[in-house]
Amino acid sequence: MDAVVSTAKLNSNEIFDLMKQFITEVIGEEFVEEMDITMESSFTKDLEMDSIEIVSFSEKIKAHFGEQIDFTGWLSNMDLDQLINLNLGTIVNYIEECQ
Amino acid sequence: MPVIEVNNRGVHIQELNKGAAETVLLVHGMFSNLSIYYFNIAPILAKHFHVVMYDLKSHGLSERIAKGYDLDSMTDDLVSLMDSLGIIKVHLAGYSFGGLIALKMALRFPEKVKKLAVIEAPDPNDDKTRDIIDDYSREFLEHYVTNFTDTTKVKMGKRQMERNHRMYEYLFHETSIKSDMILEKEFFSAAEISDIEQDTLLLYGSQSNCLGAGKKLKTKIRGAALLEVNGDHNIPIQEPVSVGNIMETFFNNG
Repeated sequence: MDAVVSTAKLNSNEIFDLMKQFITEVIGEEFVEEMDITMESSFTKDLEMDSIEIVSFSEKIKAHFGEQIDFTGWLSNMDLDQLINLNLGTIVNYIEECQ
Repeated sequence: MPVIEVNNRGVHIQELNKGAAETVLLVHGMFSNLSIYYFNIAPILAKHFHVVMYDLKSHGLSERIAKGYDLDSMTDDLVSLMDSLGIIKVHLAGYSFGGLIALKMALRFPEKVKKLAVIEAPDPNDDKTRDIIDDYSREFLEHYVTNFTDTTKVKMGKRQMERNHRMYEYLFHETSIKSDMILEKEFFSAAEISDIEQDTLLLYGSQSNCLGAGKKLKTKIRGAALLEVNGDHNIPIQEPVSVGNIMETFFNNG
């Protein structure tokens, strides 16, 4: 379970590692091993995550960071092009700013 | 907890704004999942309401079940879900096949439904019921291509293709979903459809091939309002903010 809300402030490398861990939990280790996940990786094109996987990923962020980050609210303000092009670095920056 | 046990089966749910006085329950369509509401429509509704989304059986992250895709079974599932969440009465909205489930729910369990929003529910007796089911597959694929590939609509990645393919294979060949749907073809022409007494909003795409179904429902359900949104059958994806705002206003008034 990852339902423990972390209060320690993470730096961008730590957030990136945490995001990689969440992605691995959502799509499975066997697929992640074949990928080179970087800050530039886009969720839909590079990581091939579909909508229900992005829901699971969002829930992991919510469970970990709790109220301090409104991840779904942030996503809901994006238009389709922004969502399609959303990459890991943008998410890491957003989380770092919210902490 | 995203996956809960309902009648010993795993059901994936998502809830927003749990403390709110009234609940809006959202039902997705065939071959889709709750993500159709999760990113835009649900957050709009959650400004005022407790919002519950769930994945239908064998869809999204809910457990695979071979039988029970007729509207009686699907509404039994919904009642069980409400019972397990301790929810007595909801504003209910359903999209496409989920719209049929919402209509059936209002008929069978009127005491559990306050207001009813039906989005793009197709007429199961459209002369080509089989084609409708095939359209659902295209709709799903189009949804995927529109949302999750770049603007050149490159082909899906290998993993996604396999995932989608497995879901179609399972639903089409290992469940009763097709035969159960064909049995529902008289649903709109049955006299009971006129018994719906809830305030009803019919929300359809102005270019949708289901708009005729919306017009038919308007003549059958007393006082129902039909609103057209710019788009086709995929209006929750094409115009999520409009759809969310219209539903918010509808559920909020009165």
